[in-house]
Amino acid sequence: MNTIDPGGRSVSERPVTYIRFDGWLAHVENAFNLFAAGAILALMLLAVLQVVGRLGFNTPVPGFIDITEQAMAIFAFAGIAYCQRVGGHIRMEIVLGRLSGRTLYICEMLGVVLIAFTVALLIWGSWYHFDRSWTIGDSTMDIRLPTWPSKLMVPVALSLLFLRLCMQIYGYARLVVNPSREAYCVPMIEGVEEHAKHEIEEAFGDDVEEGGAR
Amino acid sequence: ADVTWNVSLWGKRRAFTEHVEKLAEEVSAKTDGKFEIKLQYGEALSKSRENLDGISFGAFEMAQICASYHPDKNPSLTVLELPFLGVKDLDQEIKVSMKLYEHPAVKEDLGRWNAQALMPSPMPQYNFAGKGDVPSSISDFDGMRVRALGGIGQLMESVGAVPTSVTASETYQAIDSGTVAAASFAPHAHLSFKVVEVANWWTKNLNPGTVQCPVIVNIDAYNALPDDFKAALDSSVEPALAHYLETYDKVYEKWWPELESRGVTQVEFSDAELAAFAEKAGPIQAAWVEEQSANGLPAQDILDMVKSTLAE
Amino acid sequence: MTPFEVGLLMTGVLLVLVVLGVRVAFAAAFTGLVGLIVLFSLKMGFSKGFFVALQMAGTIPHSKSVTYALSVLPTFILIGFLAFYAGFTKQLFEAAKRWLGWLPGGMAVGTVFSTAGFAAVSGASVATAAVFARVAIPEMLAAGYSKRLSAAVVAAGGTLASLIPPSAILVIYAILVEQSVGKLLIAGFLPGVFSALIYVGIIVAVAAWRGDAPPVGGFTWKERFESVPGTLPIIAVVAIIFCSFFFGLATPTEAGSLGAFVVLVVAFMKGMRTKQLGQALHETAKLTVMIFTLIWGVLVYVRFLGFAGLPDAFKDFIVALDYSPWVVMVCILLAYAVLGMFMDAIGMLILTLPVVYPAVMALNGGEGVSAADSAFGMSGEACSIWFGILVVKMAELCLITPPIGLNCFVVSGVRPDIPVQEVFRGCVPFFVADVLTIAGLLAFPSIITILPELMA
Ligand code: NA
Ligand code: NA
Repeated sequence: MNTIDPGGRSVSERPVTYIRFDGWLAHVENAFNLFAAGAILALMLLAVLQVVGRLGFNTPVPGFIDITEQAMAIFAFAGIAYCQRVGGHIRMEIVLGRLSGRTLYICEMLGVVLIAFTVALLIWGSWYHFDRSWTIGDSTMDIRLPTWPSKLMVPVALSLLFLRLCMQIYGYARLVVNPSREAYCVPMIEGVEEHAKHEIEEAFGDDVEEGGAR
Repeated sequence: ADVTWNVSLWGKRRAFTEHVEKLAEEVSAKTDGKFEIKLQYGEALSKSRENLDGISFGAFEMAQICASYHPDKNPSLTVLELPFLGVKDLDQEIKVSMKLYEHPAVKEDLGRWNAQALMPSPMPQYNFAGKGDVPSSISDFDGMRVRALGGIGQLMESVGAVPTSVTASETYQAIDSGTVAAASFAPHAHLSFKVVEVANWWTKNLNPGTVQCPVIVNIDAYNALPDDFKAALDSSVEPALAHYLETYDKVYEKWWPELESRGVTQVEFSDAELAAFAEKAGPIQAAWVEEQSANGLPAQDILDMVKSTLAE
Repeated sequence: MTPFEVGLLMTGVLLVLVVLGVRVAFAAAFTGLVGLIVLFSLKMGFSKGFFVALQMAGTIPHSKSVTYALSVLPTFILIGFLAFYAGFTKQLFEAAKRWLGWLPGGMAVGTVFSTAGFAAVSGASVATAAVFARVAIPEMLAAGYSKRLSAAVVAAGGTLASLIPPSAILVIYAILVEQSVGKLLIAGFLPGVFSALIYVGIIVAVAAWRGDAPPVGGFTWKERFESVPGTLPIIAVVAIIFCSFFFGLATPTEAGSLGAFVVLVVAFMKGMRTKQLGQALHETAKLTVMIFTLIWGVLVYVRFLGFAGLPDAFKDFIVALDYSPWVVMVCILLAYAVLGMFMDAIGMLILTLPVVYPAVMALNGGEGVSAADSAFGMSGEACSIWFGILVVKMAELCLITPPIGLNCFVVSGVRPDIPVQEVFRGCVPFFVADVLTIAGLLAFPSIITILPELMA
């Protein structure tokens, strides 16, 4: 899979299969995050409808709370793998920030292994939770929506996260083997300056010029 | 202690949980402290909606549940949440509940969760408290936004009311601001959610129905108890329920003066009107029988049993 | 091992993992899961205990996330991400400049007021600082203000966003401690204004003393009034959100959604395109899932603590301390200040509150205590609101203190010509102002509690 420079001096190998698989996974993750984003927009519009309907026409959305709660599973979970890919889940970098080279990669890898272990068990556990509502039955209080679809969201989203974690374990492992390799498809630790840069990008979106601020 | 049981409860210690407190006390006394029942409030062990789940895999041995929080988890229990069954008082509700728990279909229903019902937490009728124009007849509910769930919600809809989603803790604000005009709760909940502070009327004799909230135990844990512990537990149910009724009387000792001192109008509907209103419950009960029969429950049988017990 | 010892041991493990840089949500979920496995194994043997623990932990992510009260979070976050496109910043700043420029340090005062105004549509401190760094700093520099003051006032003004509603962090606090979301949000309003006023006082004093911030005059009344209509959309959003909460016209989720809808419409009118809406939604989804993961992850750990009985033990320990409750309270706040230097505010709150909050409430005399019987002279509910605002203010303070005061880095990042050390140095007076604010909030709790009390 890796092509190694016959001269043995260069380390500019590209793990092609790995990068391709990362690309596919990223597409799925983006789609899931888009799904979450869509759910947020839909929830917002539904709530506007609820207020207007209630105050204006005395016809609130029946079972509004039930619908909202069940839809929440989408934005609470669907983007979880996407967030892990872009390093969005918060952590404390006071120790990691002082490490470099192989030590850093070993720590990063062990951290991801621990997450993967936890997530694997939670996939199992949350599947049981889904399975009970599927086989025995469960519904919401008011308009009796079935709860199994939203409970299924958890193991599905966590499974996608598990794939992402496996990718990251491999990504760090190849750096542990040879720390001078170029890093692919793993979030790299960023100093406060880079973090600040990302926050700025998020605040402005990607085209600052036309964005507004007028 | 030789055996320790955890009980999963939500909320704080209140009249609604006093029978469990008493149960733990009695059991401990009868077994010289060898069988300890530990009450865990505030959803420390599980969210209220997931208490049946927790019982099913044995995370705790005892829990309080309300059937209406998850009607499809315990369809057989929801029979006692049907509107206008005609339950007169808490004593009668205890009697009919205990009888219901003995029904094989109910045992099988709860058995899917590895659970059996130990005792009820009888709840008074869910009357409405509200703010604004005082309804003088049932037809005044037409177009009124109300917070009412499940069967009572359906019943109110049948007379033109508009059931509106509001969480229990938001009810105070919702009534104060007119988001809903009225909400149905048992008196203690009207007190604890402060509905009584914003309401100017209360339906004294509407008595549309109530909720069914048993205390359940894990079957395996129950069967694993030594005989003397089992006997201690079973024989403590009666004093526990007696104690519950006593504390509930004290709620009413607070409830009536509270209504008086706040000048809340107590609406009493005429017998003729209530009879007409009760007829609306007929189709809802029939729909329940049809739906649950389709799900394989001997629904008519259960409903008949409930009605005959109440008629005794 | 007793359950309590398991609880202590696993809490130690969690601290080590967090310090070592494991992502907080998963470090907590791992600790909770392993802790549950150990506890149930001790009770019923490993082969059964493992599965009980697995199923118990498996219910938590769904059960705790699918909670109506939490549904307000994405709407607040969305408002923040859209507010930039709605062009509120420039118009607010322009109006503030024309009305307040004549004061010593008048443009800086105007910046504080416009950040406070923007805070009323944005729940994100860092984003507020970034946006105003672009709008306000160039004008202040052109008017002859020092780089140090111009940059610092933006960094400090940004921190107001978490106090003045809408604020995601206050929603999270309210839900974790089971308080009314509306009351917490309303409670943040006056302290936010109080904070802003203390900033203004410090600016006027420093500007008059150092002379590095000349007044900007010459605006006619006509020009002043002409600047007002531009701020109307923002006033509309503020009115919607404030009135919804204060008068209970809508639930937090409904109010947040209405606010987001209005900002969305304004943003489209100001020329935002679908692609930018998509971006804002993507970012909203990312931040939302991060917060939800953190919440359920930590709650797996909290469920384990519940079975181990640790929060009760910590509560008893705090209550039994031999110091005055006020000393204990100040120590807790100082601990938050230190922790906040190294950790994101939301993460810090979610991680510590389940243990610290019951202890604070017990310190005051319990949840149901009356003002007369309490240690801090306020009812249980008031204490809970008071503590929430104080903790959030502590977390905000850390955004302008070294070593990783993110707002300072963001301002310096937007203005590469201003080194971050310069921003930190400029923030010293604002740090002093924040300490004064916190002292004020400790001494006069009614600044925090009066509005929520008027609600009920
Ligand atoms: Na804000
Ligand atoms: Na910080």
